[in-house]
Amino acid sequence: MLIGKQDFHRCIEQCAEEGLGGFDQVILPKKKGDEGLFFMNFSEEGSPALTSFRTHDPLRALFYFAREEVYPFEEKPLRRLVVGAKACDLRALHLLDRALINEDFVDPVYEHWRENTYIISADCEEIAETCHCTLMDGKPYAEDHFDLNIASYGDRYLLEEGSDKGHELINLFKKQTSLEEESDAAHERVTQNRNNIIKKLEQQNNKFDYGPGYERLRRVALDYWNESQEDCVGCGACTNICPTCYCLILNDESVDNNFVKVRSTDSCQLHGYSIMAGGDTPRPKMRDRFRNRYLCKFDYMPGNFDEYGCVGCGRCIVACPGEIDLREVVSKILASPIKAAGVEHE
Amino acid sequence: MNKNNPFEVVPADVTQVIQESPTIKTLRVLPQENFDFETGQFAEFSIPDVGEAPFTPSSSMYNTDYLDFTIMKTGFVTEKTHEVEKGATIGLRGPFGSSYPIHAWEGKDVLIMGGGVGMAPTRSLLLSLIDKIGKYNSVTYLAGARTPEDMIYKEEVKEWRSVSGVNVIRGVDEVPAGQEWNEEVGLITTLLEKIDLQPDGNPVVVCGPPIMMKFSTFELLDYGYSEENIFLSMEKKMYCGHGQCRHCMIGEYYSCKDGPVFTYDKIKDEENIWE
Repeated sequence: MLIGKQDFHRCIEQCAEEGLGGFDQVILPKKKGDEGLFFMNFSEEGSPALTSFRTHDPLRALFYFAREEVYPFEEKPLRRLVVGAKACDLRALHLLDRALINEDFVDPVYEHWRENTYIISADCEEIAETCHCTLMDGKPYAEDHFDLNIASYGDRYLLEEGSDKGHELINLFKKQTSLEEESDAAHERVTQNRNNIIKKLEQQNNKFDYGPGYERLRRVALDYWNESQEDCVGCGACTNICPTCYCLILNDESVDNNFVKVRSTDSCQLHGYSIMAGGDTPRPKMRDRFRNRYLCKFDYMPGNFDEYGCVGCGRCIVACPGEIDLREVVSKILASPIKAAGVEHE
Repeated sequence: MNKNNPFEVVPADVTQVIQESPTIKTLRVLPQENFDFETGQFAEFSIPDVGEAPFTPSSSMYNTDYLDFTIMKTGFVTEKTHEVEKGATIGLRGPFGSSYPIHAWEGKDVLIMGGGVGMAPTRSLLLSLIDKIGKYNSVTYLAGARTPEDMIYKEEVKEWRSVSGVNVIRGVDEVPAGQEWNEEVGLITTLLEKIDLQPDGNPVVVCGPPIMMKFSTFELLDYGYSEENIFLSMEKKMYCGHGQCRHCMIGEYYSCKDGPVFTYDKIKDEENIWE
């Protein structure tokens, strides 16, 4: 289906301000001065940018908060609509779904936010300097994991339904405005736009070589990681801003002998992360922790979830005070010699 | 949504506190709800408003009267645990993780090596085996501690030794002046020389400080134990207990979910396993 851009924006406005669709909150990317894009409430100041590149803050932060009470957990009746999510973030969310809603374990709070949130994704019609989804076999437009997707076609959006929730949204829009049947021309145009963006991304990243398999990363001799980590200060900005990082600390904040458990996000880059009682840690050096992040993203997470832990959003590159470019590190390590057989112990 | 919250805490009443050594206490607790576990599994032990830490119960898995937790004072939470008195309420989450496959060991000669506070999980194993001792060909328990003063469960050894089919050998690394000891002296690995080992197809369990586990494993391999029969308790920083927090990962394995009981063959190629 096709919807006029103005009509679409009016519908979203009604969802945000008049409770259309029963939504309590509408969240979308907005431009905040020169600082870039952030997920913001509809009413907050800033200009909406649905079809630009990814926000600074990861979509994950809307589903897995920096700090949440997980026990006891009372469901909060809050129905949310997120508009303008990006394909990279949706891939990350899909990994989180596997990690946090599976047959062994369900994080009740994450599940609650997932169930009560509708997601409208939007094609990337611009790219950031650090965007590299194509290096990670991704696309700058969502192919799955969305409820509804929008892609520009002149002054209209081409709508693609991705789930029952998306079907519900289309019906909602139909009641508010008239939708046009989609045409071959619209599809052709959208495909053309998408290919142009892919070409830009490939051009931007052609100096990085992700060729050899990632299982090579863990086999490269430890010494080759030393140079790459020289500028790392272990601040954890990369993990805090990563859309797939979900490591947590569980704190006991009991009141009057009633147990209360609060989870907050943690970072494997911090020295205290793996220290056990008595002071032992499997990763005492910054180099070990730095390397762990790469192995987690490119080796362990694929083993755990059958998905890469890196979706190529490039946020960690922007956030790093040491100006470390993940793409350079991966390319360089992949090209380094592998260590002699066996495990290196220091 | 009508599912169990994995962060749910079961309150438990502390019914007894036993000072085992200058740094180790056993807390006997009575959970307010059913808390069945398999020996080798662990629980997250909460002290209200202080925090929680993972401990493996040290009592038999068949004991429905109480749970024991034997805890060494070595960090923040454990220090507070040592301040807990009889009558207090603590919290438990779990049980979590893998257990010792004791049913598969029926008819076998089981060897157990417990070093220091590593005697706690292995006491649970020993007591669970003793509860069904007729099913096992033999159980040998090697207990090691730094000094006689550090040796825990002193009062119980006689009882263990009185069980037919159970052999207990205890050793200390050294006997400082003023302490008494009339059993073995030497590292726990030297105790292996004192027994008639049956490595062929039989299991051995090792639990203790990393350095003890490392050298015991190498020694056991030399004696002919196979990698898949060496059961190691790889306790790491297990925050959540259910494979969510990723702090306890050994490569792509979660100590809390795939472990804490691992066979050596599964983890031998991972890095820093002995840290």
